[in-house]
Amino acid sequence: MWGLRQVVATEGLSTRYGKALLRRHRPDYQLILYAGILLAIGLIVLYAISPARVELMNLAGSKLNQAYFMQKQLLYLLIGIGAFIAAVWLPLKTWTRLAVPVLLVGLGLSLLLAVFGLFKVPLALEAGGAVRWFNLGIISFQPAEILKFGLLLYVAVFLGDRIANKTVNSFSETMLPLGMLLGLTMLFIVVLQKDMGTGIGLIGIVLTMLYVAGMSFRNFLLTISMLLGIGLLLVATSPHRVERVMTFFKPSAASDTAAGYHIAQAKIAIGSGGLIGKGLGQSVQAFGYLPEAVNDSIFAIMGEKFGFVGLVVILAVFFALLLRLIKLIDQTANPVWRLIVAGTFGWIATHTVVNIGAMIGIFPLTGITLPFLSFGGTSLLFIMLALGITFHISRYASHGLANTINSGQGGGQPYAGFGGGRRLRRARHASGGGYQRA
Amino acid sequence: MTPRRSKRTRTKGMVWLMLVIGALFVFRLFWLQVVQHDYYQNEAQKEQVARFTIPAKRGQIYARDGSSGIVPLVLNEAVYTVYADPQVVVDKTKVVDLMQRVAGGNLVGGFPAALDNRQSRYAVLARQLNKTQAELIKQADLQGVGVQEGTKRVYPEGSLGAQLLGFVDADGRGQYGVEGALDSQLRGVPGLLKAVTDVRRIPLSIGKGDINVPAKDGQNLVLNVDRNIQARAEQALKDGLARSKATHGSVLIMDPYSGRILAMASSPSYNPDKYYQVKDYSLFQNRVVSEPYEAGSVVKTLTMGVGLDKGVIEPGTVYNNTGSVRVADFTIKNATPDSIGPTTMIDVLHYSLNTGAVFVLQQLGGGSINDQAKQTLYDYFTKRYRLGQNTGIEQQGEAPGVVIPPTDPQGGAVRYANMTFGQGMDVTMIQVASAFSAAINGGTYYKPQLVGGILLPDGSVQDQPPTVLASNVISPTASAKLQDMVAAARHNGFLAFTDPPGYRIGGKTGTSQIIDPKTGKYTNDNSIGTYLGFGGGAKPRYVIMVRVKDSKLPGYAGTVAAAPIFADISNWLLQYLRIPPNS
Repeated sequence: MWGLRQVVATEGLSTRYGKALLRRHRPDYQLILYAGILLAIGLIVLYAISPARVELMNLAGSKLNQAYFMQKQLLYLLIGIGAFIAAVWLPLKTWTRLAVPVLLVGLGLSLLLAVFGLFKVPLALEAGGAVRWFNLGIISFQPAEILKFGLLLYVAVFLGDRIANKTVNSFSETMLPLGMLLGLTMLFIVVLQKDMGTGIGLIGIVLTMLYVAGMSFRNFLLTISMLLGIGLLLVATSPHRVERVMTFFKPSAASDTAAGYHIAQAKIAIGSGGLIGKGLGQSVQAFGYLPEAVNDSIFAIMGEKFGFVGLVVILAVFFALLLRLIKLIDQTANPVWRLIVAGTFGWIATHTVVNIGAMIGIFPLTGITLPFLSFGGTSLLFIMLALGITFHISRYASHGLANTINSGQGGGQPYAGFGGGRRLRRARHASGGGYQRA
Repeated sequence: MTPRRSKRTRTKGMVWLMLVIGALFVFRLFWLQVVQHDYYQNEAQKEQVARFTIPAKRGQIYARDGSSGIVPLVLNEAVYTVYADPQVVVDKTKVVDLMQRVAGGNLVGGFPAALDNRQSRYAVLARQLNKTQAELIKQADLQGVGVQEGTKRVYPEGSLGAQLLGFVDADGRGQYGVEGALDSQLRGVPGLLKAVTDVRRIPLSIGKGDINVPAKDGQNLVLNVDRNIQARAEQALKDGLARSKATHGSVLIMDPYSGRILAMASSPSYNPDKYYQVKDYSLFQNRVVSEPYEAGSVVKTLTMGVGLDKGVIEPGTVYNNTGSVRVADFTIKNATPDSIGPTTMIDVLHYSLNTGAVFVLQQLGGGSINDQAKQTLYDYFTKRYRLGQNTGIEQQGEAPGVVIPPTDPQGGAVRYANMTFGQGMDVTMIQVASAFSAAINGGTYYKPQLVGGILLPDGSVQDQPPTVLASNVISPTASAKLQDMVAAARHNGFLAFTDPPGYRIGGKTGTSQIIDPKTGKYTNDNSIGTYLGFGGGAKPRYVIMVRVKDSKLPGYAGTVAAAPIFADISNWLLQYLRIPPNS
């Protein structure tokens, strides 16, 4: 197996929950299965379009070999798998302990990047008017991803604490400090690094966690409205975001803008793929027509290659993974762990939905990666890390108990058709029994 | 203690959200990829598929060089056009500097201003650059500046044969001369490539419906024209025109036994390399084929041929020359008062007696210029000698001229009497020389041919055989007699003094009067002098026809202006063709 060390089953939670419930067991291998399928498809597609991208880049002066993107992605993938194994290997407590340091490192590096960018230090890589990467010679590194991971861990711990204290809906205890933290990260990511995509990802993570943490609907809607207001403000203050939004609402009129061109090319790629696609080696849009073909636009390239059938399969795998994560949220008793799973879900879900939505022309373009499929090292590394932790948490899922409690109950099967063999019923805790009796 | 959860986990809402989004995505994908597939496929085609024309190489033109070998007259050379996209150009000063440093004389006037016009996407900076210049510009690699390869015609022999060659205009169309006449043969057929391309318009190998039709290059032509004869003829013409201070003139040299054109030139001429600088478009005309005129007394040879063939005269036939002859209400006079009294047909040619030519016409009618006489002359001139119609020589702009038929109200006895000595009908030099060749070569009319063969890719020349358009134009006996008469006519006169001994040279002068536009009558001013003759051993090897317009020398232009050019060329040709004397 994974050669896992025997972890003490209670993991510091024995004071609140019974030992019997949290015995370590078989993890949810479906998480690995779905992620593995996506990673394999991504690698194959990158292998197929790498020559087209490399040729264009070499014309611009680079000297890369034909399979550059596939080889690089393979390296990233090995690092990602290493991170995944490490996450499964290390005690879960490690991550709750590391929450604050990782967040501080993320914030610190983002600050450093902004300073470097300001003083034009060569380590800070500038692209398209935004400084988002540290350039460390052979590898470039995006601190926003550390910040995202740090925020995931920290907010999980933070909200876990508020759940315990029943102050999730407290303005001074929860809303204000969280709002300030989010405001600070948004300042770094969206304002300084001009990275709306990562900003949306962050908000997706935090919102999912707030929702799962049990924030009242009133406060939740208030938060969303506030974020929308801030979002509109950010859009209004940036010409290229205005352009992207305008493009979205009036596609034909703005098709000669960069965003309009990008969307139009993505739709041509997807639409020309047809029902069954042109075939793996037959993508033409990858030859310079579609911007960001290996990164943000990989979904459109897949549409051209694999057609409607292929994209539905890919979507099915994504949603199977996401539904699996939702199920794990339900099965995880420890609030901090549950929130980590929720945050991971929010991360993958936001990126997937916003990226694909833009490619098929139902959301504005934001420049966000497609998890597991897009070319890119840092984002893959931290997604694999988060998924590894989630996989680890799945060893402590409480489905055995749920089955016992819910046996014989006819209603409440929200996952019928999705869950596979181990069905999970909603009302499996104490109140469920009471409900049954009522 | 039973484990407790914090309130409800609320995940049901998340599941529903995911399902709704998933369904939305699938629906949208179905819309894009299945319902609207044809639309997007069409959009993709419009964007990705490009049609390229593969240019065909235009055929090159060669001339003969002596008995063996060929030399190029017209070749292709790669030239480069430098253009810019003013919207993309970043550093205008750099572009202007580079262009001025490299392109020099090839710059397009006012190009720096064109760079400022940001509305435009295309501005030509310089044309006709050579490869070295183009490489320098490519190496500079300035943003927004591009180099386009094209070809241009180059002329290793300069303006040699300019009018018979013609030129290729800026749109790649052959104009005038051989370039114009055989444009499609020279041009070839461009190929077509329809292919899926990348964004830079470079064809990809992945398209399924690609079309690739290779270009068919134009044919390389080898002319019958001999480079050396052509050069010598042009020089002789130029010299002769300078001597007589004439406005212009033409010369034609052909092989009477094949119709092959050995040289064909007019002066003044032009430089085909700089054709676009020519203001007077008449310089483009090859007057040998494009300018019908009243050829004058040289036509008497053809009239004699008719008489001999019809058997109504013999070279020794004698008529009484009174110096003039009355035709209808018009008196036709001789130009000179020579040979009054009994005169032979040979002397008619020697002294160029109009009355003698009219005598032949009268004989054709049994003693008078009747319908039979007119019809016979008309039939011989037009059906046998093919006067008044295009010869079909490979030249653009050949003009047929006019021979008025006897049935025409204009075709009266006076006109027909005039036609016997070359007045009253418009013919071109190529018509007269071709007819004369047939009249002296035994009676075979060869189509005058400029193109003698095609240079094949392997370097060999595929010869184009002579084309016989009619045989027995006049009988071989009549032809032999005429040849003797023409030789005797020259031999008896002073023009023969310059002929080298041991050769047989024959010829006839012609000086046509031009109708004065003021009086409507023929005058002796602004005459056209012509000389038509042959040379060689026992068998004529060449026919030379010379025409000089507006000679300022005293005397008959045919004699004083045209004949010396004939002699100049003829004497040289005897050497050049290595014709042994007394053969």
